[in-house]
Amino acid sequence: MRIIVALKPTYDVSQLKFDSEGVPLLDTCPVTLGEADKCALEEALKVKESLGATVVAVTVGQSEAHIKGIKDALAMGADEGYIIKIKNAWNISSITVANAIARFAVVTGPYDIVFTGSGAGDTHSSIIGPMVSALLGYRLVANADKVEVKEQKAKAKCTMEDGTYNYEVQFPAVITVTSEANEPRIPTLKAILRSKNMQVKEIGPEQLDLSVEEYKDIKVIKHMVERKRVIMEASDQKSAEESVIKLLTFLKDEGVI
Amino acid sequence: MNYEFSEEEKRFRESVEEFCKRYIEPRWVEIDEKGHIPLDLIKRLGEQGLFAIPVPEKYGGMGGNMTLAAIAVEEIAYHDPAVAVAVYTLLQNGWPLALSIFGSEAAKQEILPKVASGDAFFGIGSTEPQGGSDVAGIKTVAKRSGNKWVINGEKAYISGVREMSELPEGGGYFLVSKTEKAEWGHKNITDFVLLPKWHGKMSEKVKPTVYDEIGRHGISTGGFKIEDFEVDDEFRIGEINKGFYYVMEGFNIARVLVAAATIGSARWALDKGTEWIRERKLFQGKPIASFQGVNFRFAELYAELEAAKYFVYRAAWMVDNTYLTNSPRFKPRDLDVPVALAKMKGPETATRIYEEVLKWLGAYGYTKESNVYRGWLGTFSYTIGAEGSQNIMRYVIAREVIGKEYVSHTG
Repeated sequence: MRIIVALKPTYDVSQLKFDSEGVPLLDTCPVTLGEADKCALEEALKVKESLGATVVAVTVGQSEAHIKGIKDALAMGADEGYIIKIKNAWNISSITVANAIARFAVVTGPYDIVFTGSGAGDTHSSIIGPMVSALLGYRLVANADKVEVKEQKAKAKCTMEDGTYNYEVQFPAVITVTSEANEPRIPTLKAILRSKNMQVKEIGPEQLDLSVEEYKDIKVIKHMVERKRVIMEASDQKSAEESVIKLLTFLKDEGVI
Repeated sequence: MNYEFSEEEKRFRESVEEFCKRYIEPRWVEIDEKGHIPLDLIKRLGEQGLFAIPVPEKYGGMGGNMTLAAIAVEEIAYHDPAVAVAVYTLLQNGWPLALSIFGSEAAKQEILPKVASGDAFFGIGSTEPQGGSDVAGIKTVAKRSGNKWVINGEKAYISGVREMSELPEGGGYFLVSKTEKAEWGHKNITDFVLLPKWHGKMSEKVKPTVYDEIGRHGISTGGFKIEDFEVDDEFRIGEINKGFYYVMEGFNIARVLVAAATIGSARWALDKGTEWIRERKLFQGKPIASFQGVNFRFAELYAELEAAKYFVYRAAWMVDNTYLTNSPRFKPRDLDVPVALAKMKGPETATRIYEEVLKWLGAYGYTKESNVYRGWLGTFSYTIGAEGSQNIMRYVIAREVIGKEYVSHTG
């Protein structure tokens, strides 16, 4: 079995800071593989361990963050790692990214599964997986919370707004994985040292017969969090105690505590 | 000269950080509060390959080095600033490395894989009730009886006594003992592997007790009496009557990691303090970081912490060259000063940083809620002892730099 895992380094939004005007300070924000992408890689590695598979990690871009992302994937256990050499990859259109991955699958394939994260941690567009499946003519399962791969087919559980869907899909297929699917492994020292001499392979757009389309008009201008203006009123001891309980419940529901 | 960590070292630090954020950071206060590192966390640390990092793979180790072990210990202490988990981890790296250098093949094969996997503990048993710095004055005695040694004595202020008793496999110590009779001197000391609990069975001839301490409650400190405990000769460490030299080299290895733990915790404290002085506003909305009384002190402490880091990683690099790459330029004695610098500077820098950060945080810093005191008390332990007291570090530096003819430990 051969598996592609498409990965994208993203800004670690949990560590993103903003200036006093609400403008994100991207220069000081660490860039790492997105959580859902890491879960997609973990699913591929589980298939490798249970059924035997070659896992090929690929990313679109040639910056240090892209190279590091692929080296991280090799340390986690991917067998091969590629960067598709496109300059200024932060500003290319989603269709270019999807085309690049689909062309990569054709040129280096065939593959049984393309795994990718259900959405990137920064842009949240969630459209790369579906576009890759359309371009390749592969079946699609999107937003899988649980994946079980058997020979030539997979079962997947996907939680949607209106309920839970259980799918069975024949290969070849594109499966996008949510960050709920698993707890991705953390590379051990031995794995890091083993991956030390593994090469990050490069493939250019010309080898994939790919035309690159840049975004022209999209720029993150400002991040705002609206105040909720929830007021807990209290006029005496009893109502103060009730308000404290209400406040705690509210903060818990909001996921603050 | 290269002051940069390698790509693998940086990647390893990131992986330890990720591990800590997932498994240690959410529990560090609870660990300190309850006074117990959960056994499932110890097992997980083993599975992640954070024990026996510098030990060769043929003994179940990770085949890494001391620089990597120091990175792991520093990072763990950053996420457990009370340093219990970091100290447990440093013991499971330093003393296994010492055993892999000086121990018999049988002892290494028997013990090290179980330590690496997190199923057993291996620490140091040197200090006795009458003191720790005067190693030549220990009173525990091993007497030869055929192919065995019969050991009697008492050890005190020993780390990991409870953990050794609780772990499924058990564990033991790099035990320092007099040979045949307890006469003062360093030329009649022999070291042994003492396993009070092994294969899950606790010996009745070793009676442990656990002390009630003021800080870093997660890891136990205790003592044990040894009564007619028999050790096979193949569990003797190195040559008879050379034990003083082996344990001193073992101390040099472990001291580097003690210092690494203290700088990790200090880094947490300084980060917490920095965050506070940026956000705390006084006198018409000025951040307290804008006042020279605060920011000059910050600069001084930052410089001290950076210096301590250089001492730690230089010493780790020297241990690697001395024992792991066997570079002919490096001799064990060359480690004395660089290691003493790291062990002297790390804990003292950490407690200075904690004292200042507590003041920056004002009355909040003095509350238990701030949790800063946990790191203060935890790192303070290492200004007292652990692999050598601070005055022993000063003695070593003075002796080696000024000269033996001028500096004597009895003077």
